[in-house]
Amino acid sequence: MKQMVSATDTAYGTLNVKVSGYDMTVVEHYSQYIHNLCNRLGIQVAESYALPTKSTEVMLMQEQGNKMYVDAVLKTHERVVQLSSLNTSLCPIFVDVLLKNQPEGVQLLVKEHTEADFQTRFKARPELEGLIAQINQ
Amino acid sequence: MVSRSFPQLLTCFNRTAVGSAGCRRFSITPPGRATPQSNTAVERVTSPWTLMAAVCLQRLPVITADCSPIEQRFKQMMQQMELEKSLLSDHELRLMEDAERMSRKQGNEYDSDEEEGHGDQEIMLAQDLEDTWEQRFKSFQPAPRVRADLDKDLTSVQRCLADSLVLLAEQQVGAEKLWLLPQAAWQEGETLRQTAERALCSVTAAGFKATFLGNAPCGVYKYKLPKAARTESSVGTKVFFFKAILADSAPGTAPNTALLWVKKSELQKYLKPAYMMKVDRFILSL
Repeated sequence: MKQMVSATDTAYGTLNVKVSGYDMTVVEHYSQYIHNLCNRLGIQVAESYALPTKSTEVMLMQEQGNKMYVDAVLKTHERVVQLSSLNTSLCPIFVDVLLKNQPEGVQLLVKEHTEADFQTRFKARPELEGLIAQINQ
Repeated sequence: MVSRSFPQLLTCFNRTAVGSAGCRRFSITPPGRATPQSNTAVERVTSPWTLMAAVCLQRLPVITADCSPIEQRFKQMMQQMELEKSLLSDHELRLMEDAERMSRKQGNEYDSDEEEGHGDQEIMLAQDLEDTWEQRFKSFQPAPRVRADLDKDLTSVQRCLADSLVLLAEQQVGAEKLWLLPQAAWQEGETLRQTAERALCSVTAAGFKATFLGNAPCGVYKYKLPKAARTESSVGTKVFFFKAILADSAPGTAPNTALLWVKKSELQKYLKPAYMMKVDRFILSL
């Protein structure tokens, strides 16, 4: 995996800007906007990727009866723009512009990149895990 | 959230503000920082300027702004185009199938055994589903977008939900009371950002939660005291501004100072011209 940049005195290290929401076009357009803004401001963008879509089923109780029925299926889409280093002097302005341009229905999260974040991108491999468990037994 | 692991000092750095003319140079040397292994007395670098930090607390817009007439027309045109180019959804296909099946039922040669296994769909037609959804939508009451009475109340944080607001406080500066961004004097041993946090706490109620956007200030304003008041040790004051975003506002009673929430367009009525010029540069009116 790409080297994670660590924080120095004047710049933050590898940061993940996560954009998530139910409406895929809005989420994708907002993440594209963030990427273009970083290019224009001279912030180095390490990667820009998507995380798997999560489906949430909304279940409601029936009026007469105890059974729950499926009311709606909501899909949460997530896009990540990874910045390799952000100058601290530029940080308040950058975050302010992002917040002021945030569309409705979209959540913005800025956090540091960790090893665990990197591992969530991979799919689980059940056969491999089964074999490893067998070896360990 | 973003990590905040910085040393106490803001070192000297040059920065070209993007899109606006000129460089800004900051150089802050807090006086009297003793080196650990000093045998000789450390020379105190005393500057004749008193340092203060102020906080620019913003409440972000809660709802989207209304579209201008051209934007509305364009939006309608785009929606029309997308509708015409789109394919039928599952629900619409079901509606069509049900209508077709209904018409076949009315006809004479109808053999229900010939139908494929759509047993449960005959009980709950797609049209019925649509009717129940329509009913639920009608019974939903959204909150009003614009409340004229709240908009006029300058002290309310709920006013003008479509714009971003800035907090102003009336503070005693020298001999007079002025409207300005809440500020506090810098004390030894704390960072300027801590001073700004202190300024916010002193002016607002206890429940206010604000997130500071960074350790770097976004603007500076300096003024020299009138010649009569100048002494050897104080020529004037430098005020550094820090940006913060309002996270949660408690409806508590504000202490002594009067507070106002104003839009950028209304700032001019309250701030002095020279101060306004500096503050104007870093408040984004998006």
